[in-house]
Amino acid sequence: MALTQVSSNKCSGGYQKVFEHDSSELKCKMKFAIYLPPKAESSKCPVLYWLSGLTCTEQNFITKAGSQQAASENGIIIVAPDTSPRGCNIEGEEESWDFGTGAGFYVNATQDPWKTNYRMYSYVTEELPRLINSNFPADPEKMSISGHSMGGHGALICALKNPGKYKSVSAFAPICNPVQCAWGQKAFSGYLGSDKSTWEAYDATVLAESYSGPELDILIDQGRDDQFLSASQLLPDNLIAACSKKKIPVVFRLQQGYDHSYYFIFSFINDHIKHHAKYLNA
Amino acid sequence: MEGSEVRGRLDVIEEEEAADEDSSTPEASTHLKDDLRSCRDKLSQKIVEMENFASNLEEIFVTVEENFVRQEQQLEQHYADVLQSVCVRAEARVASVCEQKKCKLERLYGELLRCGNTLQTAKLLIQSAQTLHRRQHTHAFLQAVMPIINRMEQFSSEEEEELQLGVSLEFQVPSTDLSDVRQMMDSINALPAPSAPVMNPQISNSATHTSLHVCWSLFSDDTVEFYLLHWRLISDDCTLLTPQEVCEMKVKETHCRVCDLLPNAQYELWVTATNTSGISPASERAVYMTVPSPPVIRPRECVSSLDAALIRWDSGNTNPVESYTLELTEDCADGDGGATECIVAIPCCECVVQLQPRRSFIIHIRAVNTGGPSQRSEPIHICSTGTFFRLLEDTAHPSLSLSADGLSMFYLDEDLPLSHMTFSDNTFARCVAVLGDLVPIRGQYYWEVEVESSTEYRIGVAYEDTHRNSYLGGNNTSWCMRHTLTPSRHRYEFLHGGWSPDVCVTVPALRVGVLLDCAAGTLSFWNAALQQLLHTFTCSFLHRLQPCFALDTPGAMRLHTGLPTPAYTHTR
Repeated sequence: MALTQVSSNKCSGGYQKVFEHDSSELKCKMKFAIYLPPKAESSKCPVLYWLSGLTCTEQNFITKAGSQQAASENGIIIVAPDTSPRGCNIEGEEESWDFGTGAGFYVNATQDPWKTNYRMYSYVTEELPRLINSNFPADPEKMSISGHSMGGHGALICALKNPGKYKSVSAFAPICNPVQCAWGQKAFSGYLGSDKSTWEAYDATVLAESYSGPELDILIDQGRDDQFLSASQLLPDNLIAACSKKKIPVVFRLQQGYDHSYYFIFSFINDHIKHHAKYLNA
Repeated sequence: MEGSEVRGRLDVIEEEEAADEDSSTPEASTHLKDDLRSCRDKLSQKIVEMENFASNLEEIFVTVEENFVRQEQQLEQHYADVLQSVCVRAEARVASVCEQKKCKLERLYGELLRCGNTLQTAKLLIQSAQTLHRRQHTHAFLQAVMPIINRMEQFSSEEEEELQLGVSLEFQVPSTDLSDVRQMMDSINALPAPSAPVMNPQISNSATHTSLHVCWSLFSDDTVEFYLLHWRLISDDCTLLTPQEVCEMKVKETHCRVCDLLPNAQYELWVTATNTSGISPASERAVYMTVPSPPVIRPRECVSSLDAALIRWDSGNTNPVESYTLELTEDCADGDGGATECIVAIPCCECVVQLQPRRSFIIHIRAVNTGGPSQRSEPIHICSTGTFFRLLEDTAHPSLSLSADGLSMFYLDEDLPLSHMTFSDNTFARCVAVLGDLVPIRGQYYWEVEVESSTEYRIGVAYEDTHRNSYLGGNNTSWCMRHTLTPSRHRYEFLHGGWSPDVCVTVPALRVGVLLDCAAGTLSFWNAALQQLLHTFTCSFLHRLQPCFALDTPGAMRLHTGLPTPAYTHTR
């Protein structure tokens, strides 16, 4: 699992780097971004995994979210992987922006022709943490996860499917109930097949209803003027209802005037990093 | 035994004690050590007392010796005076006797001369007679004999008279008046009446709240058998027309303690001195003042935080005192009180004192007037571990009742008729609310509120002058979290100026943590049981903030103060 450094830039006292590696899980070359705070030079640091949304690469978060200052101050490593395998030459891979390349949906595909490469769930929960823990000064016991939109969905399911693995979870405008929305139905039927019961294993709302494990403190920010909210792609109310019923603590903030963009993420990323720091630095 | 020697032995005992520590059972050794320690303490005290006594004796010895030396000098002086006086008189007598002697000698000398002359004349007569006798010529003899016989007869008759001594052998000694010398001799034993003593001004720290230590001086020449000290209360009360009663006391020394006085009061004092010869005139009148009674701390009205405390007290005196002194000592676990810090010249009955966080302190108050400081008040223990405050009952809406400990509030289901409600300017009139009383510094404060999931409430902070006629959070002078119940869910609003962000909380908070950081300008609300941050207000708070609590429907809330700020609230 050799790592190739693609770029390295000093940022907020630490380094924002990009690496490339051959993924055993995805059977292709993958890039990921990693921010190493100044504290990482002398001691092990907790890691926050950031899962980006549809169409994104590892670049969007590190160039637009402005997370580095808060990460530097709180001594947190932030790892931002790509959103799907790339260059696998699968038919239909590049056909649409909400399926295939840039739209891995953080599931392990079971259907041909996707099942060989589209194993983003295993990649972000297993392979990537192993890689990070063995190559960087990361504290393997302290991981948290966050994401935006499709990545928000990814973050929520990773946390809900692996009780205790992540110290905390947060999300920006997550797809909360993909089983019920057009994006999710399209992706899940493509990756997982027509049996809807298999979809539920990757649906945050369904997972919340059956969650049992250590208490999770979930922070969710949602822009009120998000066009995908009004298009019923995100469905946060369903997740809130499930969490209320299961007494899973969620603070859901509907931010007036904000849309689905990285401007929205930039505005509240500090709150999210503080939220994770509370648990990662406890 | 010398004090130092005893001390040395005590040190040895202590060392032995330390050496014995391992050998005996811990309980017995602890017991023995306690006994030894108490004995040692008693002994040390006795030594101190003995040393004091010895130094007193020494002082008396020195004083007596000084007095003797002075008296000796006085006597010597007196005798010298008498001697001189006697000498003067003796010399006068000697001079007068000498004068007499001189006169007598001169007269005797004159007589001697005259005697010589007479002798000469007699010799001449004898010679003439002899010459005549040898003359052979009878006629010539006869012729010449008669005049000579006449002259001899005349001479002898004269001689008889003159052979008497013309000078008296007695000296006339003038009698000397020695009455003044006698008087001087007598006055060595007789005493003059003393002159008026001089009152000394009051010495600081010499008075207590019921007694005064009064001192005066006498002129060193005076001998005094006793003094009579008089005193009288000076009353500012103009309604008392009759002058205060004058008390008096007989005193042997030039100082005394006057007891059973009123605290924080001025007294006029004067003194007369008496000896066998009489009573001196009264001294000038001096004004002394008893110190005030110790103040009384109002523990329920004392509030504190991590880095400061607001201490309030009652004067304890009916008339005003000059100022107060606050004494702050760190309460160390090992029993050794740390250094005492003092804040002096506090003009009123409250004071904010800066503290180090997470320590324990003991605070005393003294009242001070010109007579000095009072005794210490009863102590109050202050812990700077968290935020301690109480609810301000005078701000509470009439429908809101507070528990006896001032930490629980109840809004009972029975609505009082409006006519039964009494409102003051300070009372919340619309919102069933009450304010808390924080230390007035820009610090960090944390408190928690226990609520029922069905209670509809508002919890937050407000400027102390927040409008009493509006709802908390509904104006620009208050910030609060509001919990209401809708048919479907628990609704949380974070209100300021009537506006709230849209926040959804899935698990209702049964214990709400409120963290106010004035310096950072943040107010956060936490679900304390879950350590979940619910909302943070960011605002530059301009005025003094006070915690506020309101019940929108009947129910109850309980306040928990003094909690340490939880670690999970500390993020950058």
